[in-house]
Amino acid sequence: MDIGTITIILFIVLIAALLTGLPLSFVMGGVSVWFTYILWGPQAITAVKANTFGVMQNFIITAIPLFIFVGIVLQNSGLAKSLYDMMYKWFGGIKGGLAVGTVIICMLFAAMTGISGAATVTMGLIALPSMLRHKYDKEISIGCVSAGGALGILIPPSVPMILYGLFAGESIGALFAGGILPGVLLGCMFIIYVLIRAYLQPSLAPSIPKEERANWKEKFISLKSVIPPIVLILAVLGAIFKGIATPTEAAAVGALGSLVCAAINRSLNWKVFRDSCYTTLKLSCMVVWIIIGGVCFTSVYTALGAVDLIKDVVAALPLSRYVILAGMQFVLFILGCLMDPGGIIMICTPVMVPVIKALGFDGVWFGILFTVNMEMAYLTPPFGFNLFYMKAIVPEGITMTDIIRSIIPYVGIQAICLVICIIFPELALWIPRKLIG
Amino acid sequence: MEGPLGLHPWEIVMGNIMKGLRFVDSLSEWTGKVISFLIFALAFFVGYEVIMRYGFNSPTIWVNDLSTMLFGTFIIIGGAYTLRDSGHVNMDVIYGRFSSTRRALLDLITFVILTLPFLGVMLWKGWEAAWKSVITLEHDSTQWGPPIYPFRLMLPLGAFLILLQALAKFVRDLMIVIKGGEEGS
Repeated sequence: MDIGTITIILFIVLIAALLTGLPLSFVMGGVSVWFTYILWGPQAITAVKANTFGVMQNFIITAIPLFIFVGIVLQNSGLAKSLYDMMYKWFGGIKGGLAVGTVIICMLFAAMTGISGAATVTMGLIALPSMLRHKYDKEISIGCVSAGGALGILIPPSVPMILYGLFAGESIGALFAGGILPGVLLGCMFIIYVLIRAYLQPSLAPSIPKEERANWKEKFISLKSVIPPIVLILAVLGAIFKGIATPTEAAAVGALGSLVCAAINRSLNWKVFRDSCYTTLKLSCMVVWIIIGGVCFTSVYTALGAVDLIKDVVAALPLSRYVILAGMQFVLFILGCLMDPGGIIMICTPVMVPVIKALGFDGVWFGILFTVNMEMAYLTPPFGFNLFYMKAIVPEGITMTDIIRSIIPYVGIQAICLVICIIFPELALWIPRKLIG
Repeated sequence: MEGPLGLHPWEIVMGNIMKGLRFVDSLSEWTGKVISFLIFALAFFVGYEVIMRYGFNSPTIWVNDLSTMLFGTFIIIGGAYTLRDSGHVNMDVIYGRFSSTRRALLDLITFVILTLPFLGVMLWKGWEAAWKSVITLEHDSTQWGPPIYPFRLMLPLGAFLILLQALAKFVRDLMIVIKGGEEGS
């Protein structure tokens, strides 16, 4: 059998195995054991051990649990509550202001942590009930929490970008820097959307009654709640972009800083600390075990020589390179509906990135496009993490259908943002060039 | 035929199986909970290194090795805890639509075909490598050069724990299939 046939069989087996509902990690690991055994014999399966040990000793991957820890601690820290009080005082009087404030808090969270769940869960518990109480339409309010939370992976730091960087061989720092403008752009697009909707249909997102609005003194006092997050953001991202610390070191500083933030908000106690450790373990193992399976699978795929094969086949296609790029984005979108973003990165990066580079595109830029695309993956049914998070915390009476309906306009905005990033690569590449060169 | 306490032998067997399953569950739970605190140790030591290097210009030679060991242990031992809580994501587009009996049947098959080879090989090869390291009392080849064999043992230990938890799920699925989906948790 030639390499082409084996590659096709490899992917068919992988897809079939994924459909059985077995955890991704075991699917990729199990499939890789079989193929290694059949292709290279019984001695070769020792690769499983070598790959696993390689992941355990990888200092870049070490950043992942640390950034997850930051998110979980912040989620329990009471920081979101004081930030929301501030946003309420400043923006409550504007039509749609509470939703705008929610998106801004999500952006701040996104700049401190690298996951989507932290802001989604906290804002779902704090902002959503408040917005509903103030007669905000449930579509606008649920949607802005789910979509805002997903910004966590685009605005640096970002766990998916670490995965991408690892598998694509791109600099994590450059990817983080590249996510800044698209992330801020996407957040602003959400805000503009909410403001326009609220202006045209004030009943969807009314301003809060005059007697509940804060005076200037209260407004300025409330500003002190943004000080700890801003300090934390500057310390973590500043250290990475200035080249003072590696992402992992910066993540450790962030983890300690998030505990300080929680202490400042007087919500650091043994229970919060303990539960944060437990949750961090679970989420980290989820991601890193997928990496273990993914590394095993990728090593089979690479050893097979399939990378060059696919590169040659795609390069020989009589298509514009932008058509190929669009095709890839479409595939990623479809996979995003069905699968976890970590698994998608693991499977698609080794296949797509060599092709992208052969076509003369930039690897960092593609990484940003990939991440913007994964923003949608967090929201699109049937498999969207933020949908599950929301379902678990929304007040009674809100159904999954409501949640899914609420995300439609926001997914549309994300798609527009993706197109903008494709048309203007500078959005993703300007800051990395300035900062890292 | 009656056993002690007037129980039918089958009930004693079932009782012991249930006890075994509960033991595996709590083993995964407690190893996970204990190991989860390593995340703080990891943050603390890496943070310490950053402060020493940039604050006092005196980098350590041991934080790098130590943080690798903390991270590796955290991840590999925590796999079983995560599995116990069904925290390893899967793709349930089709799977989610099946009845619980059919899901259990499918899980039985995939355990044998995929999970067992993967985790089994990890345990087997991981143990071989770890044992070689133990008998030579291997040290890390870095400047600090700490003993590395305890860390190498973490890989087969983690693989053992997660395999045990996967096996517990296998037994539960078997009970669901045999009973035809009435109960079995």
